[in-house]
Amino acid sequence: MNRTTLGTLWRAMVTAVAFVGCSLPSTAQDSLSASRLEEVVVTGTGTQHRLKDAPVQTEVITRRELEQYGGRSIEDILAGLTASFAFNEDDMGSQMQMNGLGNAYILILIDGKRLHGDNGGQNDLGLIDPARIERIEIVKGAASALYGSDAIAGVVNIITRKYDRDGLLLENTTRGGSYNDWRQHNSVGIALGKWASLTNFQLQHSDGWQNTSHEDPRQTEFPIYDSRNKTVNRHTNWQVGERLDYTVSPDLAFYAEGTIYRKRIYRPSGKYAAVDVKTYDLAYRNASAAVGGKWTPTEKSVVTLDIDWNRHAYDYVFTDTTLVDGYDPYGNFTHYYPYFPDQRNLQSDQRRTMGHLKGIFELPASNRLSAGLEVRHDWLRAPMRVDHGGTVTDNTEALYVQDEYSPWRLLQLTGGLRLDRNQQFGFHLTPKLSAMVSPTDWLRLRASWSQGFKTPTPKEQHYRYVREMNGTYLYLGNADLRPQTSNYGSVGAEVNTGGFSFSVTGYINKVEDMINLVTIPNYRAPEEYQTMYELHKTRQYQNLEHARTVGVDVNVRYAVRDFSVGGSYSYLDTDAHLYDSDHDRMTDVVIDGMAHHKSNWFATWNHSFRRPYRLGLGLYGRASSKRYYQLNGDGKAYQIWRFSSTHDIQCHALSSRGLSLRMEAGVDNIFNYVDRTPHGLHLGTTTPGTTAYASVTLRFRQGKNKFQSFKTNSKQSYDEEY
Amino acid sequence: MKSIKFFMMALAAIALSAGFVACDDDDSAASNWQKYQDAVTKNVKANKKQDKAILLVAFGSTWQQAYDAFDGTVAAYKQKFPGYDIFLSFSSAICINRAAAGENVDPRNFYAPNFWLNAFAQEGVRYNEIVVQSLQVIPGEEYTRVINYIKDFANNSNGDLDDAYLSEVVLKLGVPLLQDAEADVPEVAKQLNSLYKTQAAEGVVAFMGHGNPDSYDTYKANVRYTQLEEALQVYNKNYYVGTVDMMDNFKTNVLARMQAAGITGGKVFCHPLMSIDGDHGHNDMAGDDDAWDNGFEANEEGEVEDTSWKMFFHHMGYICDNTTMIEKGLLELPTVRNVWMQHTQDAIAGEPLDFYHSKNPE
Repeated sequence: MNRTTLGTLWRAMVTAVAFVGCSLPSTAQDSLSASRLEEVVVTGTGTQHRLKDAPVQTEVITRRELEQYGGRSIEDILAGLTASFAFNEDDMGSQMQMNGLGNAYILILIDGKRLHGDNGGQNDLGLIDPARIERIEIVKGAASALYGSDAIAGVVNIITRKYDRDGLLLENTTRGGSYNDWRQHNSVGIALGKWASLTNFQLQHSDGWQNTSHEDPRQTEFPIYDSRNKTVNRHTNWQVGERLDYTVSPDLAFYAEGTIYRKRIYRPSGKYAAVDVKTYDLAYRNASAAVGGKWTPTEKSVVTLDIDWNRHAYDYVFTDTTLVDGYDPYGNFTHYYPYFPDQRNLQSDQRRTMGHLKGIFELPASNRLSAGLEVRHDWLRAPMRVDHGGTVTDNTEALYVQDEYSPWRLLQLTGGLRLDRNQQFGFHLTPKLSAMVSPTDWLRLRASWSQGFKTPTPKEQHYRYVREMNGTYLYLGNADLRPQTSNYGSVGAEVNTGGFSFSVTGYINKVEDMINLVTIPNYRAPEEYQTMYELHKTRQYQNLEHARTVGVDVNVRYAVRDFSVGGSYSYLDTDAHLYDSDHDRMTDVVIDGMAHHKSNWFATWNHSFRRPYRLGLGLYGRASSKRYYQLNGDGKAYQIWRFSSTHDIQCHALSSRGLSLRMEAGVDNIFNYVDRTPHGLHLGTTTPGTTAYASVTLRFRQGKNKFQSFKTNSKQSYDEEY
Repeated sequence: MKSIKFFMMALAAIALSAGFVACDDDDSAASNWQKYQDAVTKNVKANKKQDKAILLVAFGSTWQQAYDAFDGTVAAYKQKFPGYDIFLSFSSAICINRAAAGENVDPRNFYAPNFWLNAFAQEGVRYNEIVVQSLQVIPGEEYTRVINYIKDFANNSNGDLDDAYLSEVVLKLGVPLLQDAEADVPEVAKQLNSLYKTQAAEGVVAFMGHGNPDSYDTYKANVRYTQLEEALQVYNKNYYVGTVDMMDNFKTNVLARMQAAGITGGKVFCHPLMSIDGDHGHNDMAGDDDAWDNGFEANEEGEVEDTSWKMFFHHMGYICDNTTMIEKGLLELPTVRNVWMQHTQDAIAGEPLDFYHSKNPE
């Protein structure tokens, strides 16, 4: 069978290359706006709802929007297609923010499973293959009882494309862009009877770039105009994943999956010892394994069980001889343990094991009950960065129930309770309540209130490290941290009529005991560190007394025939206070990276020509006002425009061979905006200026025509995201 | 069947890969230590010309001005002590790493003291006499660590050196700049006054030392700063000596003393009282900042931490700006450097250290 398949594929590829002249009527285009509202979302409640009827306000980025935009990464996509997110790529990776709160408060899920591992509180977003994303659902605030109350800012649920049907699927997407930016995605799916296998491979690479070779003169000994420090470092990451599905019967199915991921960030070395000399690269090793099953005892009830294990290890890979903390051959602690080029030294290894049992049951009187149990074990090993023998652990369990109640057609109520138990901080109950009123078919009014609860992570409590950035910065954990709690409230209105949709949502998120990195006096650092390092700044995780984010999100879009236009705007204000024991009073603290105004907008045109060709054109813009920081300057306001095009070839010569072909090309940052603020200071955006990209996707499928096609929007399997 | 075989193979591949991932490839082979030591020994062998060595020990820096100061110091030592090979050591690992790396620059090998000392004892080197000269200003915490390196060496703490050699080698220790309150402090005061009497006639000359945090001031060495101020004020009441870390002797305390003496205006010259002029001299002493906008509020130790000496005295009503910053490390002042060199000379002339088996007496 394999040979036949390969033969078929080869013939199909030859045909694809010579597709000129093929003809077939194009498919009629759906109304973008209508299909969008029919999109099924799951994140807010864990149960399926059409977007327009979702009782918890949910923002969705659809497959079609993703394809039209042609984003290179999840950062690019979220920053470009919503106004709620901000990113700052630096030499260590991406810094993510959602409505003013950092990555530590954003729960990123891939198909409902938590993304694992962080560096400085930031998830590695390279774990997400943009070519596999079916859609992205965003729910603000700790609104869902199911996904954890630690989602204080909100949940980003990445729904990936699945496949569990008969036959063979081969898919390749290759995307190239400026600065040697390469994205490679490959899928191989095989389904036979009750078995299905999906193998994925992704590769992401960029040479990185340097927006300026100037260093901040206030932080250097003399003016430096030839620094080698890059704005974004060269990096390469790849991932291999395998998923096996076994469907015992229509009521019972099991799966097993695993991934391996590697990433390296390359750091060039210059000639100024105080500024740009580097002696190691950064490398990450991730692995995951999961098993689970789904049982559907009745038509309207589902029970799922997932057990997963994740590892995220962080290494230095030395590029020059380097002395680090360690133990000499005689067993004595030393600051001078030597490493040589190409050797590795483990900095941290985070492992997490989770079990999640969940059931959804249809109850009488228009009630739908969800209930679940979650257990979680965190393990952190960082031989030189954590006391307690280099290893700390944490255990959390949670029980939750949620009821969706629709007493009459106009009103839908969702109430949830989540009880967390943490080994250090005991029990905590968080309630959640959402209501949606639909006075007419075109108007939805929503309100929600939810409490959040987040215990300090082992890293926030125990991890310490030194970072050299024009001076030695010491970062300290804090064993005295208290859990954070939040109260999130939002009210919103949504209008959908004809091709027009408009929504406005106001929210307030009050976080008590918010954990934030705060600059503290150097004399508060452990004296050993004061004498060992000439400390420039010391930063430590501390509980702020009060923090509050308040804002308004507005979305508008209009679609008519082939055109679609829209935009979003986000206003944000933050207010945070730290108790200053030196002076016995509250002091204001800036939440790093906060910007008051963010917006984006788009205009797209999609047209199917009589020839077997469908063209999509898109113009996008995004803007942010000044971003505020505690140290090293504020980030400048910016505005960036992007042009994208998509080209679908839908001819008989290809489709009769099971092939489809798609090309995308575009130009980002058309007006070549570059923030050339010197190194050592914050940038508003790290864009390198105008960049171009092009990508080709070739897909082959053989067997019953049940694979999800490029246009999967409203009719995909409803049950994949449990 | 074929498909099942395929699945089994795929599973096996995944399992193998996961197993590979689970292995910790943290490459911490014990041979690294030896390999590094061998590199240091090779360096010493290549530079060995005499039978006696002087090892200068400093905290270290990544600043070019500091490198120049160290180069100048090594050159001066070579000139003054022609019978000795001169080596320079950093105790900061970060400074050692940065100095030895970099693109298109000659590596500066300021190895840690333990590696230098071990190299001195290797076959083919084996200096007859080793003089360790502390480049610290006060006999405080850092100096104590220098002594401990010598003790570990003399006692063959790791058991990897030739005990017969250790029993014979002559070990000497050159003390810090302000070791002796009665001899060194007046001498340094005299040299500083001869260099800066013009400025002292014009306004305040405020020296900024480092100092040890209070609970780390085990050896009560911080008092040297106070003694130096007293000695300098014998020449001119306009001299002050404060620190970055010494309790009750921050810049705020210097200001209080100035005000108590009736100095409420005029010029304030600032000068690092550190062996080199690096991060502290350029940032803590002469940095620009906007802390004044938030009001200069002292912390619980009485120091205004967020601002430099320059900005502090400027906002306190004095003429204190870039023109009054004297960016010189003490090693850049030949007459002050001579005090350290005299300590080396005294060590050479004095009795050898009796550290052999001092830790574990037989």
